[in-house]
Amino acid sequence: MMSMLSHYKHVFQMQFLRNAGFFVVIAFIQILISIGIVIGFTYLIPDPSTSSILYLATGAPTIILIITGLVILPQQIGTAKADGYMEYIKSWPVKRSVILGADTTLWILLTIPGIIVSSIVAYFMFNPGYDVSWTVVPAFFLIALTSIGVGYGFSYLLSPAASLGISQVIVFGALMFSPVNFPMERLPEWLQSLHEILPIYSMAEVMRASLAASTFTAGIENYINLLLWCVLGYGGAIFILNKR
Amino acid sequence: MILDAKGVTKVFQGPGKSKMVANDNLSFHIHEGEIFGLLGHNGAGKTTLVNQILGLLTPTSGEINLMGESVLQSPTRARSICSVQPQSQIPLGFLTPKQAVTLMGKMRAREKFNPKRVEMLFEALNMGGWANTAGEKLSGGARRLTAFCMAVIVPGELVILDEPTNDVDPVRRRYLWQVIRQLTNDGTSVILVTHNVVEAERAVDRVAILHKGKFLAQGTPSEVKGSISNQMRMEVSLAKGLNEIDVPSWALTSNHKASRLMFSIESSEVPLTIEWARDNVDKGHFIDYSLSPATIEDVYVELTSEKGAV
Repeated sequence: MMSMLSHYKHVFQMQFLRNAGFFVVIAFIQILISIGIVIGFTYLIPDPSTSSILYLATGAPTIILIITGLVILPQQIGTAKADGYMEYIKSWPVKRSVILGADTTLWILLTIPGIIVSSIVAYFMFNPGYDVSWTVVPAFFLIALTSIGVGYGFSYLLSPAASLGISQVIVFGALMFSPVNFPMERLPEWLQSLHEILPIYSMAEVMRASLAASTFTAGIENYINLLLWCVLGYGGAIFILNKR
Repeated sequence: MILDAKGVTKVFQGPGKSKMVANDNLSFHIHEGEIFGLLGHNGAGKTTLVNQILGLLTPTSGEINLMGESVLQSPTRARSICSVQPQSQIPLGFLTPKQAVTLMGKMRAREKFNPKRVEMLFEALNMGGWANTAGEKLSGGARRLTAFCMAVIVPGELVILDEPTNDVDPVRRRYLWQVIRQLTNDGTSVILVTHNVVEAERAVDRVAILHKGKFLAQGTPSEVKGSISNQMRMEVSLAKGLNEIDVPSWALTSNHKASRLMFSIESSEVPLTIEWARDNVDKGHFIDYSLSPATIEDVYVELTSEKGAV
């Protein structure tokens, strides 16, 4: 146990320092993106109602988590696979789950500045009716872990080119065709059914229910959906990492 | 015995039903403090073999034991017994050599890690000047040396070095071999994977020549050279084109590269060959010439060009 903690610490330091400059840039870009979602979409919708703004303000953190786990992370894994770093990591004298754990911590930390800054900006600009519940902490971790886990799963499984393609589809799909920044009812029925299965809708519902608890509620099915995707993603990633 | 491999075979499934035999029934062993050279062309199956020793790949058949225990039973144990310098450059990103080597040392030794060893290594390899430069700004040689230090900072019982001297300047190459020798004096064993045969010959205790997945020869350098021990190697610098001179009829194999001509002869033909060479120097055909005993490289070239397996 002590050795795993020590391994975790040193793997974390190695991975953090290796990417330090990159992480600063990513965190900064995420702050811009999340503010951009809150402010930018109000240009798209003339005279937005408070409820529209609340959708945007409570959707921005979910978008950050989706972009981190399902877009930036797969791109990083693709690069690491292509330049041989992935093979090198596999030769380290530590358990593969420790590496996955240390990397996950890094990715989670990376999302926090963007989420906090965008929420504060939205609060002071629009006062959209936040009602933050204590569930925000577990909800954040559940959504983050699901997004990161699924990102690991498909980027380990697929070739760098294929996972890059998927991540491009996700970034567009999550912004325009997913019920994150607007209600589900606006989508055609077939997309609604798809989103009942995919994790994006459940991420958005769980996040909204904890940031504006008096306006939104999430169903137990949303939590179950996220748990399943999370286990599937990490399970797949560990399986592929240990495959010989 | 550190490593004992028996009948290791690895078959990769190619496209369709085709199969690629990367390792074909390889058996060998490595003792404490021994440097074992694994020589072979690109694609001979060297890296596949190394990956099986590390437990990153499972042999199709055969067995690999590290310190008496099967690699397959505990790959994590195998990875802590072995420390590796990979063939490809490690993308260090923003890590400085000092950070990368220190963290790898802490990962391997934990609280027993002695930071003074980083200084000692950097001094031995004369790389103090780059110790605090971000990895992405380092030259290829400096990055290769950093990867080497990461492998030997807290060496496992078996250190695997895959082309450690690529990109490294000749002066630091010598320092590097000294560091490797020191490791083996402490009882660490080394697998040296390379196609730089001349360099390997001076360093290794035992050697195996791998070609198309099979060992063509295995033993101490002198044993391996046994098959051609009576041969000498003549090397000539040509002043003019090759067509102005006649390669002696007693040359066994000859090889011509730019202004260099190389051929091997039986040692009984030495006087005749020297006379022939002097004559050509007098005529102004040669700039100089040298005669030396056959090297592992000659064996290597001879064996791999015959394509046969023993």
